[in-house]
Amino acid sequence: MKISILPKKACPKWALWISVCIFLMIANTSGAAALLQAGAPAPAFSLNDMEGKEVSLSQYSQNKAVVLLFWATWSAKSPNALKRFEDFHRKYGQKGIVIIGINADNQTLSAEDATKIKGLLASHGITFPVLLDKGLKTFHEYEVIALPSTVVIMEGKIAYELAGFPLTGTENLFDYLLSLAGETPRGNKVTGGYKPKYDAIADTNLAKGFVKKGKYAMAYPLFMKAIAKDPSYMAPYIDLARLYALEGKTKEVEDTLRSALKMAPENIVVLAELGYLLTNTNRAGESVELLAGYAKDGAYTPALYYYAYALAAAGRLNDALAAFDNALQLNPFDPVTYRLRGEVYENNRMMKEASSEYRRSLELLLKMSK
Amino acid sequence: MMHGLLSRKLLILVFFMHLCLLWMFVSGPGPQAFAEQPEMEKAEFIKKAAVYSEDSNTDNLIRNVREALVTSPDRAEDHDQLGYLLIKKGLYDEALDSFRTALKINPNLRTAKTGIGVALLGKGDAAAAETALKSALILNPYPAMTYYALGLTYLKMDNNEQAAQYFKEGIRTFKDGKK
Repeated sequence: MKISILPKKACPKWALWISVCIFLMIANTSGAAALLQAGAPAPAFSLNDMEGKEVSLSQYSQNKAVVLLFWATWSAKSPNALKRFEDFHRKYGQKGIVIIGINADNQTLSAEDATKIKGLLASHGITFPVLLDKGLKTFHEYEVIALPSTVVIMEGKIAYELAGFPLTGTENLFDYLLSLAGETPRGNKVTGGYKPKYDAIADTNLAKGFVKKGKYAMAYPLFMKAIAKDPSYMAPYIDLARLYALEGKTKEVEDTLRSALKMAPENIVVLAELGYLLTNTNRAGESVELLAGYAKDGAYTPALYYYAYALAAAGRLNDALAAFDNALQLNPFDPVTYRLRGEVYENNRMMKEASSEYRRSLELLLKMSK
Repeated sequence: MMHGLLSRKLLILVFFMHLCLLWMFVSGPGPQAFAEQPEMEKAEFIKKAAVYSEDSNTDNLIRNVREALVTSPDRAEDHDQLGYLLIKKGLYDEALDSFRTALKINPNLRTAKTGIGVALLGKGDAAAAETALKSALILNPYPAMTYYALGLTYLKMDNNEQAAQYFKEGIRTFKDGKK
């Protein structure tokens, strides 16, 4: 039996626009972007280490670079990430590069969680500082969308970010870190270190401020200026697309995302947004095709749940549910995953499952659950 | 099993309602009654809410609020806070009394209206909880938590269809900034 997440009746155009708008409004406020972009100020934090001692980002301001590794005991790739960073820490820790692990196991940490964390750190011989992110405040402030995730901070700003621990991306990251340590990178070239132009960041931030205040007409030219000033900077494209979506301009949303892809064909954030748009404009097959390759790599949670959503819209419910599970494996704290899975269940009239998913999504938004 | 789960969620709900109060204060503008309080009292409340959010000893907090009410019995917010603390202890009837007192003093105190619904749900009276929570939704600027409580109420009634709709509405209003 073919099961669809879309209603059987033809969907009126206005309803489609509204659904796209609602989604993009939600995406806009739920940290759908992949970590904070290079050039953005690094949010300050002050967290306790395993012994209860308070550690702040500011105390490392004199170091060449601070590398934050967000990880969790339940995340399959985290042990590998911890090991790689431990090796790096032992070899290059004296060269001004500080590695800090930030554990994001749960909103609240039980004694059982603490035992698990300590056990994993001991079994891998981790010697760099590991901090406990109670309440996941730092996790959210850094807009982490996958575990493990790495953020390199230099002079108080984000210099490099890597969501997940993908094969190629990880090697590029370590090449970048080697170059910071004054070593010769093993790869051919260091791809990290791209910094958007300051003017483009400033225009984008100003435009976002206008969007927040509902002054859309003032935001449009600023986003466009930012794109013109630095066409490689993806943030203004994404925010502009979201603004168009807010105003129901579906064609402009797609045009903007496709322009971004011309500059950065592999940008997973843009691809994920486009995939979701395609699903919501009755092109689920195209969306599945677009996202399938990226979903396999499993480094960006929204790509996984939009892929899952597209699969369901294409009538592949079982594949969709498996893909949602993959998204949860990467990040069980993203309310959007549960909301979309709720929609899939609801559209298939599985109301018990749907209510359970919506409930979980709302609990996460309200920060009520672990 | 279901009842146990609901009770746990109710406790979390109580916890969150106080975080909401704190949030309303620090991000303002807060409810009219709070806005009119002197700064010292606001600071005291924020401190109290912060202590609560750290999940301190509920018995101590109940004692503190009751002591405060002896000297200032007309503070609706303290009666309201006491109600949530009593729910946390599973003392639903006493909680209802506290919320009703709070509403006598300040009939617009929406957290107390929601509190009545939460206490009734805790008592197992889902139908009465439904009525109370629906009335708490009227003109409520921060309805997400009330929608959440309504979703739980319909789960208790085994009405997954309605539960799903209320949870969804909670998600929607939360995203609109109406926590």
